Amino acid sequence: MTAVDTGLAAEYAAIYAYGAAAVHLDGDPRAMAEALESEHRSRRDALLDFYDEHGREAAPAAPGYDIEPIQDAAGAQELLLTVEQQVTAAWRAGVAATDPNEREICLRMYADSAVSLARWRLAIGRPVADPWPGRPA
Amino acid sequence: MFTTRRGLLVGAAVLAAAGCTREPAKIITSDADLTAALRTARSLAQGAEALGFSDIAEDHLTHAATLERLLRPASIGEEATEAPADVAALAEAEAAGSREAADACLATDSDYAVLLGEIAAARAAHAAVLA
Repeated sequence: MTAVDTGLAAEYAAIYAYGAAAVHLDGDPRAMAEALESEHRSRRDALLDFYDEHGREAAPAAPGYDIEPIQDAAGAQELLLTVEQQVTAAWRAGVAATDPNEREICLRMYADSAVSLARWRLAIGRPVADPWPGRPA
Repeated sequence: MFTTRRGLLVGAAVLAAAGCTREPAKIITSDADLTAALRTARSLAQGAEALGFSDIAEDHLTHAATLERLLRPASIGEEATEAPADVAALAEAEAAGSREAADACLATDSDYAVLLGEIAAARAAHAAVLA
């Protein structure tokens, strides 16, 4: 499994999680959740193009993903924060790739996911500053 | 061993060709990518602090501290930089700094690709929330 495979799997899982969580949100967090879900879909599409361009076979999304039951808006916010952190961590790991094409797409996805993470933190009133986005604690 | 002047010269040439001579001392040169990233981190820290974004400035100071540690024993002097005029200028400086670190990340064959990528991602995030 390559770094891009891992990142694509993380994007699939994020799209699923946003679909489950956004309905529990209102106001600005809801609008931001919808915007970020759209960005994850765009990233997935760009990744599928990358697979096509390089003659690779992309794995499909799983029918479902194991997420904690969402009780309320606070639970939805926490779930999406965890999802954004995990997606960012997946892409960060890919930057170590020695293949130039892999490193390039992983870096692009990593920067985009760090932006998504920061925007979600801002939307739910969390501190935005983070010198090492996605770095394991 | 070398009893004649010619013998001495020939012997010296043979020893040099065989790599037996002492290597001249090398000046330790710092990694250009890390040095550029350090200068930009310091500049962005000053700019963010001047505009009241202490948390963002702290991110840059964290980057700078890491880069200074990696560059030792080389020491890169501090440079005074002009503060950005407003938040939009700071956001643009963050975006430019992100591109600089991203280019270095893609070009490097050192072990610092992830570090440079992290710095690029952090600056991109700053630019996005400031914009």
